Amino acid sequence: MYWVSVITEAGIFAILALGLDVVWGWGGDFDLAFYGYLALGSYMAMVLTIGRPVPPVEYIIGWRLPYPLALLLAVIVVVALAAVIGAIALRNLREIYFAVTTLSAVTALYLLVQNYTPLFDGYNGVYGLINPGQTALNLTYNGYRIVFLAVVLVLLALVYFLVQRLSVSPFGRMLRSVREDEHAAAAYGRSVFFAKYRAYLFGAALAGLAGGLFAVFISAFNPSAWTPQELLVIYAAILVGGRGNPRGVIAGVFLVYIGFIELTRYLPSPASRPEFGPAMRQILIGLLIILMLKFRPEGLISERLSVDGRRGRRPGAPKVAAGEPAAAAVSGQPAGGAKDRSSQ
Amino acid sequence: MSTFLVSVGIGLATAAILSLSAVAFTLEYAVSRVANFAHGELLTIGAYAAYTGQRFFHQNVAAAALVAAAAGCAAGLAMNAALIEQFRGRSAITVFIATLGASLVLQNVLVIIYGAANVSYSFAQGGLHHIGPFLWTTSNIEVILSALAVAGLIYLLLQRTRFGKAVRAVSQDRVLAQVSGIPARRVVMGTWALAGAIAGFAGFTLADTIGTFGPQLGFSFLLLTITATVAGGIGRPYATLGGALLVGLVIQVAGTYTSSAYQLVWAFGLLVLLMLFRPNGLFVRKSATAVRA
Repeated sequence: MYWVSVITEAGIFAILALGLDVVWGWGGDFDLAFYGYLALGSYMAMVLTIGRPVPPVEYIIGWRLPYPLALLLAVIVVVALAAVIGAIALRNLREIYFAVTTLSAVTALYLLVQNYTPLFDGYNGVYGLINPGQTALNLTYNGYRIVFLAVVLVLLALVYFLVQRLSVSPFGRMLRSVREDEHAAAAYGRSVFFAKYRAYLFGAALAGLAGGLFAVFISAFNPSAWTPQELLVIYAAILVGGRGNPRGVIAGVFLVYIGFIELTRYLPSPASRPEFGPAMRQILIGLLIILMLKFRPEGLISERLSVDGRRGRRPGAPKVAAGEPAAAAVSGQPAGGAKDRSSQ
Repeated sequence: MSTFLVSVGIGLATAAILSLSAVAFTLEYAVSRVANFAHGELLTIGAYAAYTGQRFFHQNVAAAALVAAAAGCAAGLAMNAALIEQFRGRSAITVFIATLGASLVLQNVLVIIYGAANVSYSFAQGGLHHIGPFLWTTSNIEVILSALAVAGLIYLLLQRTRFGKAVRAVSQDRVLAQVSGIPARRVVMGTWALAGAIAGFAGFTLADTIGTFGPQLGFSFLLLTITATVAGGIGRPYATLGGALLVGLVIQVAGTYTSSAYQLVWAFGLLVLLMLFRPNGLFVRKSATAVRA
């Protein structure tokens, strides 16, 4: 059962990472709000299924919808939030400015959820989504967990094929051309904002889906489950696997999750210092990010190999360079825009 | 009305700490073109160094402040050599992600050394003083005065000394400065030492003002620092002071009338507005709006 649990978690985070990779790997936008979308998806899946709150617990909605419907609604709510944040952050802001704005947005959301109890019961969080459909399917607890793992893996496979199709579609190529040179893409008549915006909403939808699944996986959700730093693990996994390439991303998530969960099990964690193990794990994640960026920024499986190799060499297909995105100016105006992008 | 003035007074004290942190952040950006996400950890290191130092210096606040600044200085130098210079020539966002990784590492090294629980100094805050319409503790006043002193010293350093001239040249164009015979590498090192010292000192004042602090001290102050820096115009030390003043006042006054838990929410609302309408800073003339990406 231990491995069932580990693989389920990795599968859920692989869905999240595939969504993030569309935003960051293809679109080139370093989004720090992304974990907030997973959290919101989780909260929504909870409050839509667990029924009315019993005082002193308080939270919004409190319906008893069937889980699949709740999952769908949760994804819609997450996409709606991403539509607002994306509309603000993607229009003119790029690179660091985009990252800082999204981080502010998610921190504001975090503080709101933590302090405003009528929303999701503040720091206590919501709980009680325990194996939806277990009695209907007539399963034991363990049997349910195995079925749930299968559901997660099937969804992951579906998401993978969808993303892979998108990756080689005109949309995927347009997104990459925008990443490599926004002004050139705009000069060729591409709407930079809408390309990025659509990618952002798509990525957020996957985060919402992952959040809804995560709600079942841990059956309780509170602010300590989604500090913004959790997202760095996902970025590390994408960096390891190979940014911009779905197969690499899934491999990276499984490597990092299973690698780290296994590694931290063998770390000495004296009872007097319970924080030692988690802290070591974070240090290793941080080092992993720095070392990957320094020595192998394209990841273990590079994007060029995965994308071009699959499609064959069509003359005129946009070149996809792995690794660093072209430096895009903050003034993401279409070419001919008034702002000057000269770096001094 | 008096509530308002008290909150303005606290806002000024917050702005003083913020200005120290933001000036350091902007100096790092000016010479290395990096939004240093591990900047918060320079503050935290300063705060913890003073915490360790107070055992030996007892009630000597000045000595503790010096220890904090020295530790920040060393940490700034190390950060530049071990991280920033290693990523020289890479895209801004790559360096940014690397500093994010470094922030995670440093925060958790501090957790391992000092534990995750909050600690606090034993310095006396001093009595309350009515100064004009404001109500400040002794340490509030010390913080405000020292921030003003640091701002003045930085102004003199940047405008009146050879080092300051070199810093300004390097921040304009490092390669050009290098070929003009300025030892760019050393100037960048010196700037990081300076920024680290200011940040370490800022960390000490922050921890002393808040009362208790943990390994997340600097990280949670970082977004405020960035907001203040962006408000002023990133890479511009003097404008940054104005940004700090604005952010400090906005969060304290708005926080007083809503709830202190939402202080940061106000700051981020302000940041989003700035990003939408004045991403180059409030105090930048329209003709000079090229953001240095």
